[in-house]
Amino acid sequence: MSESDPPVVLIVEDEPDVAETYTLWLEGEYEVRMGQNGDEGLELLDETVDVVLLDRMMPGLSGDEVLSQIRERDLGCRVAMVTAVEPDFDILEMGFDAYLSKPIRSGQLHDTVTNLLERSEYDSLLQEYYALVEKQATLEATKSSAELADSDEYEALTEEIAELRDGLSDTLGGIEDDDDFIATLRGLSNGDEE
Amino acid sequence: MYDLSSVLEFDALAQVRPGSSILVSGPAMTGKQQLVYDILADGAREGDGAVVVTTSDKAADVAEEFHDRVPGLEGAQLGVVDCRGEGGADPELIDGVSVHQVSSPGDLTGIGIGITKALEGLHNSGRDRGRLALVSLSTMLTYTDKKTVFKFCHVLSSRLDAAGYVGLFTIDSGAHDEQTIQVIKQAFDGLIDIREATGGGREARVLGLANEPTDWQHI
Repeated sequence: MSESDPPVVLIVEDEPDVAETYTLWLEGEYEVRMGQNGDEGLELLDETVDVVLLDRMMPGLSGDEVLSQIRERDLGCRVAMVTAVEPDFDILEMGFDAYLSKPIRSGQLHDTVTNLLERSEYDSLLQEYYALVEKQATLEATKSSAELADSDEYEALTEEIAELRDGLSDTLGGIEDDDDFIATLRGLSNGDEE
Repeated sequence: MYDLSSVLEFDALAQVRPGSSILVSGPAMTGKQQLVYDILADGAREGDGAVVVTTSDKAADVAEEFHDRVPGLEGAQLGVVDCRGEGGADPELIDGVSVHQVSSPGDLTGIGIGITKALEGLHNSGRDRGRLALVSLSTMLTYTDKKTVFKFCHVLSSRLDAAGYVGLFTIDSGAHDEQTIQVIKQAFDGLIDIREATGGGREARVLGLANEPTDWQHI
C-alpha cells in the first residue's frame, strides 16, 4: 500500500445487492473491487489488494477454496470471511484473519477493514523493528562499549528503536485482543509478513 | 506488582511491574527451568494463575510437579501448553489441569491458541494475576529462525502486558552465538543472567528491571 493511494478492498460475494451495499459503505475511503464468485475474485486479486471480504457460501469455488489459493499465491493480503452462521475459534485456525456474521452493519464492516489494515501496519512495523534490533546487536558485538558511546550511528539507532517500540505498543492496542494475537502469530509462521 | 524476590533474592525482583517479560539466560544445567518453575509455584501458592509452555516435558509431568510443589493447587489454576507434538489434538484434563497440545515447537499459531485458551481458562476461574513460563526458546530456535522467534517473543510479551501477567522465558546461552542472544534479549523488559561461579555453585544478576544492573550474587 503506498502512502497516497487509498487501500484496496476486494469484495467476493455472489449476491449483487449485498455486494452493492458493501461497496456503497466503503467506496468513500477505499478503492473497492467486486467479484461475483470465487473465480472472478481470484482474477481481480493482485498484490495491490489489502483486504478481501470473502463470502463463504458461494456457488462454484467456496470461500475456503478461494482462501487456500490466496495463501498459496502469498500475496500478503488480509482475508475476512463473511458467513451466515456464527463461527467458532476454528475459523482462525483455518487461516482466515477475521469473520463477519451476516447481516453486517456499516460500522462493523468499517471496523473490521480498519482492524485488518492495522494488523498489516503492525507487521511492517515489527519487521522494521527487527531489522534495527539486529543492526544494533551487530554493532554491539563488534565494537567496544567506548566505541559505542562515541558512535553517532549507534545513538541514532537506539533512538529509532525506542520510537518504533512505542509505535508498536500504540498499534492494535498493543495486542490486547485474542484474534489480533493469533492472526499476528500466524503471519509470522507463514513468513508472509514482509 | 509481583514479588519474585522470595525465590531469587534481589531487590530488583521485589516489585516487578505486571506485564513484564523476563529472559532467563544461562548455560545448560544451571537450573533455569527449576528457577522459573519455582517462581510460578511461588505465585500459585499465593493464588496466582500459572501457564507453562513446554517444549521438553510431558504435560503430565508438569502437572505432577506443580501438584507436588503447591499443596492444594486447584486444577483451574494451571494451564499447560505441550509443544512436543506427541499428544492428541484435543484439549484434555490431566489431574484436573487443562492441557493444550501443539503439533511442534515451530507451530507458533498453535502455541498462540494454546496460550489464549489457557489464559481464558484462568480468567474464567476468576484469576486476574498470573505468571507464564516458556521453556525453552532454545528449542524453538532449532525449529524457527531467530527473526521469527524474536517477533514471537515481542508479540507474546505484548499479549502478556495486556493481560497484566509476568512472563519468564528460558534460553541456553551456550547453544547460540552472542549476536542471537543479543537480539532475543531486546524482545524483553528484563534479564536474569545465570552462570557457574568460580569455585562451585551458581551466581546470578538482574538487568533491566531496576535502574542499574545488579552485581553477580551467589544463588
